[in-house]
Amino acid sequence: MGVNTVRERVSSSNKLERIWLLAKIEYKLRYYENRLGLLWALIKPITDVLIFYVVFKTILKTDIPAFASYLFIGLILWNFFLESTSGTIQILYTKKYLYEYSNMNKMEIYISTLLSSSIGLFFNMIMFIFFYNFIESSTAGLGVHNLWIIPLFINLFILSLALSLILSSIYIFAKDITQIWQVFSIALFYLSPIFYRSELFQTALPAFDYLNPIAGIIINARRVMMQGVQLDFSLFLFDFGYALLFLLGGLLLLNKLGSKAAEKL
Amino acid sequence: MKNSIAIKAQNISKSFHISQDSHNTVKHRLFNIFKPSGKKIVPAVKNMSLEIMQGECIGLLGRNGCGKSTLVKLLAGVYPTDSGHITINGSTMLMNLGVGMSHELTARENIYVSGSVLGLKIKEIDTIFDQIVEFAELEGFVDTKIKFYSSGMAARLGFSIAVNAGADIMFLDEIFAVGDAKFQEKAIRVFESSWINGKTVILVSHSMDVIQQYCTRAAFLKDGELKFFGDTQEAINLYLKDNEIASETTAPALQEAQAV
Repeated sequence: MGVNTVRERVSSSNKLERIWLLAKIEYKLRYYENRLGLLWALIKPITDVLIFYVVFKTILKTDIPAFASYLFIGLILWNFFLESTSGTIQILYTKKYLYEYSNMNKMEIYISTLLSSSIGLFFNMIMFIFFYNFIESSTAGLGVHNLWIIPLFINLFILSLALSLILSSIYIFAKDITQIWQVFSIALFYLSPIFYRSELFQTALPAFDYLNPIAGIIINARRVMMQGVQLDFSLFLFDFGYALLFLLGGLLLLNKLGSKAAEKL
Repeated sequence: MKNSIAIKAQNISKSFHISQDSHNTVKHRLFNIFKPSGKKIVPAVKNMSLEIMQGECIGLLGRNGCGKSTLVKLLAGVYPTDSGHITINGSTMLMNLGVGMSHELTARENIYVSGSVLGLKIKEIDTIFDQIVEFAELEGFVDTKIKFYSSGMAARLGFSIAVNAGADIMFLDEIFAVGDAKFQEKAIRVFESSWINGKTVILVSHSMDVIQQYCTRAAFLKDGELKFFGDTQEAINLYLKDNEIASETTAPALQEAQAV
């Protein structure tokens, strides 16, 4: 009994090590491979912000205060979501070498890949905090309420993981889920208040911030990181509920369809 | 330790659905909803039960297409079973010519990833790292991506990782074909010194010498059924007899064909 629990603890610590190792390698593969190297990870959100800024501020003259920061936080959260969903549809195919020859738990593959995206998000978030508090002219300043970003991140992580599980499991049996999700994610992007006011969005599409979980997360992230106000708790609970519900579905699908990946892909 | 069960399989079966037209997309599935897909069901493993103890070396015998590879993948936990239940105690590794390596990663990264998948901690991999590289004879190519390796180099690396790291339960599918004669000799030496004593090994081979020399027990498979599981010599005899019957039935046909 004693020996067993010790052995369990040892093997579980190996599991954490392995997930972290895979995440690091994934992160390196994603960015270091590039000629611009790690710099690319920093340039990407800035160019994104720049494009939207030119369109909506310079051309369309939007009146959102601190618009660059507004865009910045919306886009980095959205990019994380997109990277972890669209970017992982083929994960069971690209990472086949990990489970094809052993009884490795597939969940570890998902978690490590999302963790590597989280490293990127972490750097981007630091850039955002720096930008918002030191470069942007009128700010609410740093405060304890900023810490609410952590549960929001956990929410986003679970949601992305859940959708990643669902999409990649379906991919085994229906390859065109890639295209279907592409269309769906474009809809989600435009139906989230990323580059327009959340109030506009909420009045034009009432209750839609409750239907679109990624919208709710972005709205709440701006509240705690920029506006210096509390979370919208009902929205937060809704989004967390979505994430957990999807996660349940994702786990079921992984168990049912994903387990056949080795023979079907 | 020695007498505990490594793998326990109860009434496991597996069949493959092979269809002419693959319904691989949502579109295709929708458009062909009422059309029968012309599926063919191939039962690969039929209702098998077996127990493998820790530290045993088990041989798997049978002619091509008898379900050996499918059984190995089921026992290793790579394929899910259709029915029945498998309990696996420990990490498994399935090994034929290549083991799980990513061609996008360097040898160094692959050694760490594979080692970790096989259940080693980073510190443990650190200590055997040089040994793995040296054994694979790849000293100058540690930070080269596998995709730039020759097939022989990649195979040696895979073999070396498996030999030096090794999972709790190793499935070896015709592995003694890697590398040149010198490398093979080295591989067999390590196989004998470290694997036979200590690890659970399931050996698939058409070489009766190999099976006879190493295996404590052997299983004989035919047409997806477990015909015999026990004494190695007995299993070999059954396998040889099965081969003779097969060649007797095909021999007249061959002669006829040659006459024409």
